Amino acid sequence: MISAFARHACLPDKRRFRNRQGTTLRESWFFIDLPRTPYGEALKLQRRLVDARRTARLARDIVLLTEHDPVFTLGRHSAAEGYCTGKSPAMREGIPVVAVERGGNITYHGPGQLVVYPIVALHARRLDVRTYVSLLEETMIRTALHWNIPAERNNVNPGVWIGARKLGSVGIALRRGIAFHGFALNVSCTPEPFNWISPCGLKGIAMTSIAQEARAPVTVDEARIVVHHHLADIFSVELCPADMPAIAGMGTF
Amino acid sequence: MKEISELNLPDDIHYAEDHEWARWEDETIKIGIDDYAQDQLGDIVFVDLPQPGSRFEKGEEFGTVESVKAVSELYIPLSGEIVAINKDLEDSPELVNHDPYEDGWMIEIKPDDPREYEQLMDKRTYLEMLKGLE
Repeated sequence: MISAFARHACLPDKRRFRNRQGTTLRESWFFIDLPRTPYGEALKLQRRLVDARRTARLARDIVLLTEHDPVFTLGRHSAAEGYCTGKSPAMREGIPVVAVERGGNITYHGPGQLVVYPIVALHARRLDVRTYVSLLEETMIRTALHWNIPAERNNVNPGVWIGARKLGSVGIALRRGIAFHGFALNVSCTPEPFNWISPCGLKGIAMTSIAQEARAPVTVDEARIVVHHHLADIFSVELCPADMPAIAGMGTF
Repeated sequence: MKEISELNLPDDIHYAEDHEWARWEDETIKIGIDDYAQDQLGDIVFVDLPQPGSRFEKGEEFGTVESVKAVSELYIPLSGEIVAINKDLEDSPELVNHDPYEDGWMIEIKPDDPREYEQLMDKRTYLEMLKGLE
């Protein structure tokens, strides 16, 4: 159901193929639709997949889609003061704060937010970092458009916005040419935890969600389907399901 | 991204597969990232370098560079002790983009084993490796 947009035959690992009619077929990525996953577990999985991709035990790029339990994460160069407002409500609520290797500043992840982690060998795709980040933003913009929400980039601040309201965030890391981390799109999450921090180091901005902008209930599972479709389109790939045993069977773990 | 034929790759330095360069300066070796890497990363806004006196084994992460919303790890191409870092990068990280081999150098090391320099790639070998990435 979730991969309804991506039910095409999955191809072997080479880059481009031509079928008998001479039509160019697409390269394929694996995807894993994870249920709601604690941040630390998803991070461990990402790091293992990066290592497997780097050593070619994993022969294709792969994308993880998930939701997290509530967590604040700090980018590599985040100042801890981004996590503010005196009373430390995050600690009061018992929400953990995790420092990670991605770019960008402090942010919040939680239920109702779709988190997408493409693990992509950028060199092999001849993608520079700026282009890659803009393609991730484009994926969020087109997803929002599915609900007629006119999200856009902001020249000063990365991520996607509706005016001064932020809908989605981007932060990536590069390890030996492999990009990981990715983007977080607010689908139906409550904006409240964002008020406890200065998301991405920005003050005086509001966070919003697809459901809030569409004034309609939208679920993360609906957003997964739309993101699948646009990821495949924007990166010109077929998305092929890789369940965890299959990944384990490749000798990844 | 630049075409491989457009890259500025000096002849008098050696290259590592993660796109760092190394150059002999009398008794020490200067290290930075090359034109391919700076072009791929885009505008660099932050460079994080180690303290002088610290030691790294070949291939270990010695620092990071941040471009817009992306942090990239840096790997030392030879084992050794850091004897100096380029402090100008603290206020002017864009030097890495504008002049990766001179003003944009990152660290200077005293190598444990000078022979490791010879094991790095010369320009011709490095160019072949880049062509193989495509």
